[in-house]
Amino acid sequence: MPDKKSLPSADKPEEALAAVVALRHMADQLERKAVKAAIGQGWSWSEVAEALGVSKQAAHKRHAALIKSSKG
Amino acid sequence: MFKRVRLRLRDMKTISKLITGADKHANSFGEEKPGAEHFVLSALNLPDGSASRVFQKFGIDSDKFREAIKEQYRIALTSVGIDPQVVEIDPEPFQSEKIFKSSQPSGVELMKSLHALKEQDKDRPLSGAHVIAVVASQEFGVTARALKVLGVDRDDLSNALREELKSI
Repeated sequence: MPDKKSLPSADKPEEALAAVVALRHMADQLERKAVKAAIGQGWSWSEVAEALGVSKQAAHKRHAALIKSSKG
Repeated sequence: MFKRVRLRLRDMKTISKLITGADKHANSFGEEKPGAEHFVLSALNLPDGSASRVFQKFGIDSDKFREAIKEQYRIALTSVGIDPQVVEIDPEPFQSEKIFKSSQPSGVELMKSLHALKEQDKDRPLSGAHVIAVVASQEFGVTARALKVLGVDRDDLSNALREELKSI
């Protein structure tokens, strides 16, 4: 874990907000890879949703197109 | 009157190409909806060549801008103590059949500003340079940071755009 002292301070909002955007981007990519792998390994959408802490509908809506396109 | 109608039809074709290209670039980055940076990449590939000509003055092409987008993410991750090499994730490309599936907020803002810019510049056809003119005015965000990575001064870029637009 990075030392909290090394995180961009509130005095540098530009840097801190850029980091937020990059972290979101990284998290999105990781989420999509992991969901694709989970579905590929036979997980149900309910299990994926439970692991992500979202509703089944939300998980399906967010990722079904990816799974469909990778199968197509 | 007839000239205006022809210009409008031409602009509609350009917008269609711009959106289709932005979607494609977003998908190649593993993103479903395009942001301003993907519109820039799309503008660089528009057949009018104006965006590409302006970027060439700064030694930038489509590949260099793509790399700068990735680099600004790496820099931002490093600033919070994350080694970007360790978490390098190959994007999962989308192959969406949907066309015009809306944009990320930065993409929506870009299209709004593009519309406003074209309202003031009715006699020239819409071109890639107009798209770059919109992003040149943005101080923050992925595109602004990518331009910083490339060492592009926004004022110099605006001047180069003015020259390019005059020549159209």
